[in-house]
Amino acid sequence: MAFVVLATAGAMLLRLFDPAHSLIFPPCPLRYFTGLYCPGCGSLRAMHALLHGDLRQAFAMNSLTVILLPFIGYGLVTEIYRHLWECPLVERRLPANWIWSLFAVIVLFGIARNLPFHPFDLLAPGALLHL
Amino acid sequence: MFCPQCGASNADKAAVCVQCGRSLQAAVPAAPVQTPGVVLPPGAAIQNYLVFAILSTVLCCLPAGIPAIIYAAQVNGKLQAGDIAGAKTASDNAKMWCWISFGLGLGICVIWGILAMVGMIGHLRPR
Repeated sequence: MAFVVLATAGAMLLRLFDPAHSLIFPPCPLRYFTGLYCPGCGSLRAMHALLHGDLRQAFAMNSLTVILLPFIGYGLVTEIYRHLWECPLVERRLPANWIWSLFAVIVLFGIARNLPFHPFDLLAPGALLHL
Repeated sequence: MFCPQCGASNADKAAVCVQCGRSLQAAVPAAPVQTPGVVLPPGAAIQNYLVFAILSTVLCCLPAGIPAIIYAAQVNGKLQAGDIAGAKTASDNAKMWCWISFGLGLGICVIWGILAMVGMIGHLRPR
Protein backbone atom coordinates (compact mmCIF):
# COMPACT_ATOMS: atom_id res chain seq x y z
CA MET A 1 0.00 0.00 0.00
CA ALA A 2 2.77 2.39 1.01
CA PHE A 3 4.48 1.41 -2.20
CA VAL A 4 1.46 2.35 -4.31
CA VAL A 5 1.19 5.73 -2.57
CA LEU A 6 4.91 6.39 -3.06
CA ALA A 7 4.76 5.37 -6.71
CA THR A 8 1.78 7.63 -7.36
CA ALA A 9 3.47 10.55 -5.62
CA GLY A 10 6.61 9.87 -7.64
CA ALA A 11 4.67 9.79 -10.89
CA MET A 12 2.98 13.10 -10.08
CA LEU A 13 6.32 14.75 -9.28
CA LEU A 14 7.72 13.28 -12.46
CA ARG A 15 4.89 14.67 -14.54
CA LEU A 16 5.19 18.14 -13.01
CA PHE A 17 8.95 18.51 -13.10
CA ASP A 18 11.23 17.72 -16.00
CA PRO A 19 14.23 15.78 -14.62
CA ALA A 20 16.37 17.31 -17.38
CA HIS A 21 15.95 20.83 -15.99
CA SER A 22 14.91 20.37 -12.39
CA LEU A 23 17.03 20.02 -9.28
CA ILE A 24 14.61 17.87 -7.34
CA PHE A 25 15.70 14.60 -8.99
CA PRO A 26 19.20 13.39 -8.14
CA PRO A 27 21.53 12.60 -11.05
CA CYS A 28 22.71 9.08 -11.85
CA PRO A 29 25.64 8.46 -9.46
CA LEU A 30 27.64 6.57 -12.10
CA ARG A 31 27.27 9.41 -14.61
CA TYR A 32 27.98 12.01 -11.92
CA PHE A 33 31.28 10.45 -10.88
CA THR A 34 32.56 8.76 -14.04
CA GLY A 35 30.76 10.46 -16.91
CA LEU A 36 29.64 7.04 -18.17
CA TYR A 37 26.05 6.17 -18.95
CA CYS A 38 24.50 3.33 -16.96
CA PRO A 39 21.71 1.12 -18.34
CA GLY A 40 19.19 3.29 -16.50
CA CYS A 41 20.44 6.72 -17.55
CA GLY A 42 17.64 8.72 -19.12
CA SER A 43 14.94 6.52 -17.63
CA LEU A 44 13.52 9.35 -15.48
CA ARG A 45 13.42 11.65 -18.53
CA ALA A 46 11.86 8.79 -20.48
CA MET A 47 9.15 8.39 -17.81
CA HIS A 48 8.61 12.14 -17.81
CA ALA A 49 8.14 12.07 -21.57
CA LEU A 50 5.82 9.07 -21.33
CA LEU A 51 3.68 10.81 -18.71
CA HIS A 52 3.29 13.57 -21.26
CA GLY A 53 2.41 11.06 -23.97
CA ASP A 54 5.62 11.62 -25.95
CA LEU A 55 6.65 8.10 -26.88
CA ARG A 56 9.27 9.28 -29.38
CA GLN A 57 11.10 11.38 -26.80
CA ALA A 58 10.80 8.58 -24.22
CA PHE A 59 12.28 6.03 -26.61
CA ALA A 60 15.18 8.34 -27.44
CA MET A 61 15.99 8.89 -23.77
CA ASN A 62 16.12 5.24 -22.76
CA SER A 63 14.79 2.68 -25.22
CA LEU A 64 15.41 -0.21 -22.82
CA THR A 65 13.19 1.34 -20.15
CA VAL A 66 10.35 1.90 -22.61
CA ILE A 67 10.60 -1.69 -23.84
CA LEU A 68 10.79 -3.11 -20.32
CA LEU A 69 8.03 -0.95 -18.82
CA PRO A 70 5.10 -3.24 -19.74
CA PHE A 71 6.93 -6.18 -18.16
CA ILE A 72 7.84 -4.14 -15.08
CA GLY A 73 4.17 -3.14 -14.80
CA TYR A 74 3.09 -6.77 -15.07
CA GLY A 75 5.69 -7.77 -12.50
CA LEU A 76 4.48 -5.08 -10.10
CA VAL A 77 0.88 -6.26 -10.46
CA THR A 78 1.88 -9.84 -9.59
CA GLU A 79 3.96 -8.63 -6.64
CA ILE A 80 1.07 -6.55 -5.28
CA TYR A 81 -1.30 -9.50 -5.80
CA ARG A 82 1.07 -11.79 -3.92
CA HIS A 83 1.38 -9.25 -1.14
CA LEU A 84 -2.40 -8.78 -0.78
CA TRP A 85 -3.54 -12.40 -1.10
CA GLU A 86 -0.35 -14.13 0.05
CA CYS A 87 -0.27 -16.47 -2.89
CA PRO A 88 1.30 -16.08 -6.30
CA LEU A 89 -0.88 -14.84 -9.16
CA VAL A 90 0.80 -17.19 -11.58
CA GLU A 91 2.22 -20.52 -10.53
CA ARG A 92 4.75 -20.75 -13.32
CA ARG A 93 8.07 -19.07 -12.76
CA LEU A 94 10.25 -17.48 -15.38
CA PRO A 95 12.81 -19.98 -16.67
CA ALA A 96 16.19 -19.03 -15.20
CA ASN A 97 17.60 -18.66 -18.73
CA TRP A 98 15.19 -15.80 -19.40
CA ILE A 99 16.46 -13.90 -16.38
CA TRP A 100 20.07 -14.54 -17.42
CA SER A 101 19.22 -13.25 -20.90
CA LEU A 102 17.56 -10.17 -19.46
CA PHE A 103 20.64 -9.62 -17.32
CA ALA A 104 22.84 -9.87 -20.42
CA VAL A 105 20.61 -7.44 -22.32
CA ILE A 106 20.77 -4.87 -19.52
CA VAL A 107 24.56 -5.13 -19.18
CA LEU A 108 25.17 -5.08 -22.96
CA PHE A 109 22.84 -2.10 -23.33
CA GLY A 110 24.82 -0.33 -20.61
CA ILE A 111 28.11 -1.03 -22.43
CA ALA A 112 26.81 -0.34 -25.95
CA ARG A 113 25.42 3.10 -25.18
CA ASN A 114 28.87 4.25 -24.04
CA LEU A 115 30.57 3.22 -27.29
CA PRO A 116 31.42 6.46 -29.09
CA PHE A 117 30.81 5.23 -32.65
CA HIS A 118 27.83 4.59 -34.90
CA PRO A 119 25.33 2.98 -34.43
CA PHE A 120 25.88 2.46 -30.69
CA ASP A 121 26.13 6.19 -29.98
CA LEU A 122 22.43 6.37 -30.86
CA LEU A 123 21.66 4.52 -27.63
CA ALA A 124 22.97 7.34 -25.43
CA PRO A 125 20.18 9.34 -23.76
CA GLY A 126 18.59 11.73 -26.27
CA ALA A 127 20.86 10.84 -29.18
CA LEU A 128 17.99 9.61 -31.36
CA LEU A 129 16.45 13.08 -31.19
CA HIS A 130 19.38 14.59 -33.11
CA LEU A 131 19.19 12.28 -36.09
CA MET B 1 -19.36 -28.49 28.13
CA PHE B 2 -18.89 -31.98 26.77
CA CYS B 3 -15.59 -33.77 26.63
CA PRO B 4 -14.45 -34.02 22.99
CA GLN B 5 -12.94 -37.44 23.71
CA CYS B 6 -15.55 -39.39 25.70
CA GLY B 7 -18.55 -37.07 25.53
CA ALA B 8 -19.07 -36.88 29.32
CA SER B 9 -20.73 -33.71 30.62
CA ASN B 10 -18.32 -31.44 32.56
CA ALA B 11 -18.48 -28.10 34.35
CA ASP B 12 -17.79 -25.22 31.95
CA LYS B 13 -14.54 -24.26 33.71
CA ALA B 14 -13.29 -27.78 34.26
CA ALA B 15 -9.61 -28.25 33.46
CA VAL B 16 -9.84 -31.99 32.80
CA CYS B 17 -12.69 -34.36 32.01
CA VAL B 18 -14.18 -35.99 35.13
CA GLN B 19 -14.63 -39.27 33.28
CA CYS B 20 -11.55 -39.80 31.08
CA GLY B 21 -9.11 -37.17 32.40
CA ARG B 22 -8.58 -35.50 29.02
CA SER B 23 -7.45 -31.85 29.20
CA LEU B 24 -10.35 -29.54 28.39
CA GLN B 25 -8.43 -26.25 28.47
CA ALA B 26 -6.19 -26.41 25.44
CA ALA B 27 -8.29 -26.44 22.35
CA VAL B 28 -7.28 -28.96 19.75
CA PRO B 29 -4.97 -27.02 17.42
CA ALA B 30 -6.73 -26.39 14.16
CA ALA B 31 -5.26 -28.10 11.15
CA PRO B 32 -3.41 -25.63 8.91
CA VAL B 33 -5.89 -24.02 6.60
CA GLN B 34 -5.23 -25.17 3.08
CA THR B 35 -7.40 -24.05 0.24
CA PRO B 36 -8.92 -27.24 -1.08
CA GLY B 37 -7.69 -28.25 -4.49
CA VAL B 38 -4.73 -25.89 -4.42
CA VAL B 39 -1.44 -27.61 -3.77
CA LEU B 40 1.47 -25.19 -3.97
CA PRO B 41 4.66 -26.71 -5.31
CA PRO B 42 7.59 -26.80 -2.86
CA GLY B 43 9.44 -23.52 -2.85
CA ALA B 44 6.41 -21.58 -4.09
CA ALA B 45 6.85 -19.13 -1.25
CA ILE B 46 10.45 -18.33 -2.21
CA GLN B 47 10.54 -14.96 -3.93
CA ASN B 48 13.20 -13.89 -6.38
CA TYR B 49 12.68 -10.10 -6.05
CA LEU B 50 13.31 -9.74 -9.78
CA VAL B 51 10.86 -6.85 -10.15
CA PHE B 52 12.61 -4.78 -7.51
CA ALA B 53 16.02 -5.66 -8.89
CA ILE B 54 15.03 -4.41 -12.35
CA LEU B 55 13.32 -1.34 -10.92
CA SER B 56 16.44 -0.32 -9.04
CA THR B 57 18.78 -1.03 -11.96
CA VAL B 58 16.83 0.39 -14.87
CA LEU B 59 14.63 3.04 -13.28
CA CYS B 60 16.89 4.25 -10.50
CA CYS B 61 20.38 3.86 -12.00
CA LEU B 62 21.55 1.85 -9.01
CA PRO B 63 24.37 -0.61 -9.68
CA ALA B 64 23.41 -2.64 -6.59
CA GLY B 65 20.48 -3.95 -8.61
CA ILE B 66 22.88 -5.96 -10.81
CA PRO B 67 23.79 -8.56 -8.15
CA ALA B 68 20.10 -8.66 -7.20
CA ILE B 69 19.24 -9.71 -10.78
CA ILE B 70 21.99 -12.36 -10.70
CA TYR B 71 20.60 -13.80 -7.46
CA ALA B 72 17.05 -13.65 -8.87
CA ALA B 73 18.17 -15.80 -11.79
CA GLN B 74 19.85 -18.17 -9.33
CA VAL B 75 16.62 -18.51 -7.33
CA ASN B 76 14.69 -19.69 -10.38
CA GLY B 77 17.55 -21.85 -11.62
CA LYS B 78 17.92 -23.63 -8.29
CA LEU B 79 14.15 -24.12 -7.96
CA GLN B 80 14.15 -25.67 -11.43
CA ALA B 81 16.90 -28.02 -10.29
CA GLY B 82 14.93 -28.85 -7.12
CA ASP B 83 17.47 -27.22 -4.79
CA ILE B 84 15.05 -25.59 -2.32
CA ALA B 85 17.70 -24.70 0.27
CA GLY B 86 19.97 -23.16 -2.35
CA ALA B 87 17.05 -21.19 -3.76
CA LYS B 88 16.27 -19.87 -0.29
CA THR B 89 19.86 -18.67 0.16
CA ALA B 90 19.84 -16.99 -3.25
CA SER B 91 16.48 -15.43 -2.41
CA ASP B 92 17.89 -13.99 0.83
CA ASN B 93 20.86 -12.59 -1.09
CA ALA B 94 18.58 -11.05 -3.72
CA LYS B 95 16.51 -9.47 -0.95
CA MET B 96 19.63 -8.11 0.74
CA TRP B 97 20.87 -6.50 -2.49
CA CYS B 98 17.44 -4.98 -3.09
CA TRP B 99 17.61 -3.39 0.35
CA ILE B 100 21.20 -2.22 -0.26
CA SER B 101 19.91 -0.67 -3.47
CA PHE B 102 17.05 0.98 -1.62
CA GLY B 103 19.41 2.30 1.05
CA LEU B 104 21.82 3.63 -1.57
CA GLY B 105 18.98 5.33 -3.41
CA LEU B 106 17.68 6.87 -0.22
CA GLY B 107 21.19 8.01 0.74
CA ILE B 108 21.78 9.59 -2.65
CA CYS B 109 18.44 11.38 -2.46
CA VAL B 110 19.25 12.74 1.00
CA ILE B 111 22.75 13.86 -0.01
CA TRP B 112 21.39 15.39 -3.22
CA GLY B 113 18.70 17.17 -1.23
CA ILE B 114 21.29 18.63 1.15
CA LEU B 115 23.55 19.67 -1.76
CA ALA B 116 20.63 21.28 -3.57
CA MET B 117 19.65 23.22 -0.45
CA VAL B 118 23.22 24.31 0.26
CA GLY B 119 23.45 25.41 -3.35
CA MET B 120 20.25 27.43 -3.05
CA ILE B 121 21.43 29.09 0.15
CA GLY B 122 24.70 29.89 -1.61
CA HIS B 123 22.79 31.63 -4.37
CA LEU B 124 20.71 33.62 -1.89
CA ARG B 125 23.74 34.98 -0.03
CA PRO B 126 24.37 38.65 -0.85
CA ARG B 127 27.63 39.23 -2.69
